[in-house]
Amino acid sequence: MTRYAMCIDLHRCIGCHSCSAACRTWNDLPIDIIYNPVLGGVCEGTWPNVHRNYLPTLCMHCKNPECVPCCPTGASQQDEDGVVWVDTKICMGCKVCVNACPYGMRDTSHTVRRFDEFVRKCTFCKERREMEPGADPYCVQTCHQHARTFGDIDDPNSEISRLIGRSDTFRLLEELGTDPQIYYIPDMGGTR
Amino acid sequence: MDMKKYQEENAEIQFKHRYWGWQIALYLFLGGLGGGILFLTWVMSAFVFPGVDLTQAFMLPNFIALLVIAFGLFCLVEELGQPPVFYRAYVTATSIIKWGAVLLTIASFGSLFWLLGNWSAESPVLGFLSVFNFFGGASGIWLAAAGIAGFGIMVYTGVMLSTLKAHAFWSTPALPVLFTTSALSTACAGIMLSLCGWPGVASLETAEAAHQVHGLLHTLDIVLAFAELTILLIMVLSFLGAGNRTQQRVAKRWVKGSTAPIFWIGMVGCGLVIPLIMNASGNALAGTIACILVLCGGCLLRFMCVWSDDRQPLEGENRYYFRQKHADMAFASYYTKSGKELERGENFAYIDNLY
Repeated sequence: MTRYAMCIDLHRCIGCHSCSAACRTWNDLPIDIIYNPVLGGVCEGTWPNVHRNYLPTLCMHCKNPECVPCCPTGASQQDEDGVVWVDTKICMGCKVCVNACPYGMRDTSHTVRRFDEFVRKCTFCKERREMEPGADPYCVQTCHQHARTFGDIDDPNSEISRLIGRSDTFRLLEELGTDPQIYYIPDMGGTR
Repeated sequence: MDMKKYQEENAEIQFKHRYWGWQIALYLFLGGLGGGILFLTWVMSAFVFPGVDLTQAFMLPNFIALLVIAFGLFCLVEELGQPPVFYRAYVTATSIIKWGAVLLTIASFGSLFWLLGNWSAESPVLGFLSVFNFFGGASGIWLAAAGIAGFGIMVYTGVMLSTLKAHAFWSTPALPVLFTTSALSTACAGIMLSLCGWPGVASLETAEAAHQVHGLLHTLDIVLAFAELTILLIMVLSFLGAGNRTQQRVAKRWVKGSTAPIFWIGMVGCGLVIPLIMNASGNALAGTIACILVLCGGCLLRFMCVWSDDRQPLEGENRYYFRQKHADMAFASYYTKSGKELERGENFAYIDNLY
């Protein structure tokens, strides 16, 4: 069965925020919503051994998402391929899922018309993949450093499976038991 | 920009991502208060004083319970991103919010039908509502339904927060216990303040029975206030001493940080210790003031808990949102509100000023 995941190589990320810009542009996001913020950027170490780490983030599309069972309307859903998404036609904007997400990767826009707020989040560009089967999410396509790899983690021959198989990866807040599906290859400076 | 100073400030930032406003805090307080009143009314009528007719004595407390639950629901709906479609909350079977909505609905209708069924035609105002006395045939059933649902609401308000394990301060079994104790305590205070009031038409027998109920609730409130104080201190101090990093940060803020005066003077002092002493004194006026203070303390507890929604920040998240808040968002707002594009170079000067 298909299980989508993403691997982000922190060796390669230079913190250019192209992924955020691409996501915002292609998904036509309001100005106060970012699906994939690039966190970090703090200098570490002592000269000349200094390093600057970046942590590109997005919805972790967890195998055991906290945000899906808590939704009172059933708007927050998970597909069989693991993609967690929000049906905006059902969402009533109660923000329980926003509070349930340990990664802070959901939000409602405050710039939209009152009575028109709904929860937004990354869907691995679900609409695009439905129209163009096999296409990557826009953040993956845009990353000129090829830091992001997207694919089916259940397929042993996929690029992401091979990448995760041969690299020492980590995931964020694994201790919460959500089984996040975004894998990180650590940077030299040590992001963890 | 002085990078060292910036990093020092950055280390002190309390990472905040507050999604729920005052409406939810008030809703949790009012839901607990209303549910507690309905539960205690049922328990007093059905189990503690089964042979005594307390109906007219409990008319005003139930009327208040109905009003506060209705207002709490209004707050909940008002806080939604799309209030007109609030009915969607009843859809899924797994969500705790759905069970809360169901319990609130049962409690509201149970209380309403019980009130209408027992509304006296001799009531000074709105006496005409006695035309609905046909509901009175199943008065016991309405009260039992409202009482059981009321108990569920008291527990639910704490359970709802404690299931959200992303927020370290909420994710503890102590929170539902604390909220339930507080709900019962505030319900005792609410009932003591309103026993035998309008729209009840109290006879001498009713007044005598109400006096007994008042005495019992008075004792119960002392016990509950003591229990609440114990649970609150155990919870906060154990977080401070043995909690994870986020729990310690919030507990530190409560015990000796920015919200310490509200916690020690407002919640512990005025909300629990002073009412305890006043109630124990036995003075009637002091008892009335104590009831008001207990209600204020209960409300403060919900606000402080809802606003302690700190989440464990990801690596660099503080810095990111600090910059966004102080620079990017201000720039973006300015840029869009001005209605025109800034001249070349102006926007960079604007960003420099922000830093």
